[in-house]
Amino acid sequence: MASEITNPLRQPLPDGLVPEEAISRTENRWLIIMVGMLAAMMTVVVVTGVTHALHPPSNVETVDPVTLHLGGEFVESNLGTALEPDGSATVRIVAEQYAFVPECVQVPVDTPVKFRLTSTDVVHGFLLPATNVNTMVVPGFVAEVRTSFSRPGIYNMPCHEFCGNGHQGMWARVKVVPKDQFSQPKPNERTSCVQQ
Amino acid sequence: MTSDLESPHASAASEKRHVAAPIDTALAAELLKEGPRGALLLAGVSVGLLFIGWLLFYFLLFIPRGSIG
Repeated sequence: MASEITNPLRQPLPDGLVPEEAISRTENRWLIIMVGMLAAMMTVVVVTGVTHALHPPSNVETVDPVTLHLGGEFVESNLGTALEPDGSATVRIVAEQYAFVPECVQVPVDTPVKFRLTSTDVVHGFLLPATNVNTMVVPGFVAEVRTSFSRPGIYNMPCHEFCGNGHQGMWARVKVVPKDQFSQPKPNERTSCVQQ
Repeated sequence: MTSDLESPHASAASEKRHVAAPIDTALAAELLKEGPRGALLLAGVSVGLLFIGWLLFYFLLFIPRGSIG
């Protein structure tokens, strides 16, 4: 049987077995496929980006992190969920080493929610599961993101930007409740689920 | 436990019967005259699956979650 083997693999095949024109044709076809695929992906991204108004959060708004607790939008009594006249909700959160304040926020389901956050100390991260929300919280700036939750539930909301020795313990919760179970705050009142 | 290998440290590939079927140079040239079709098919299927996966993630996960800006 061994005598039938004229070129076992231990003796590599010589170079130049594939004709040059076959190599060129193969490379050209592959290049066309790759360019076509890239064009399709770019088209999808651009078209959906324009039609769905998809873009990264671009809010540039400054705030003094030293005086956050003394007055203005991020005083403690103003943190939590506020209902706007148009029915949407605004959630204000302060991130600090190593907690979000409040540590549990309650929002109604299928409602536009605007999150406004800032930091008192170092850069933190803010991520909301089941949504595209993913932003940094930088001291001196207000991060603003908008989303809505399609399903009730309790979602963990971790800090995903390393912020110090206690980073791993810094997480909060978003409690998404049916509209009829949402505890409606009175005008100028804020609600959270910290005590629940 | 017995071994057909002469040395316990030898690779199994050192014996012809343990490696893939060898091919004659002339036959290899005949099969490759149209180019490496098998490699192109394998790469095409792999990249095609990746592309389909990207489309599924984009339209079934990313788009329904909506804009955040």
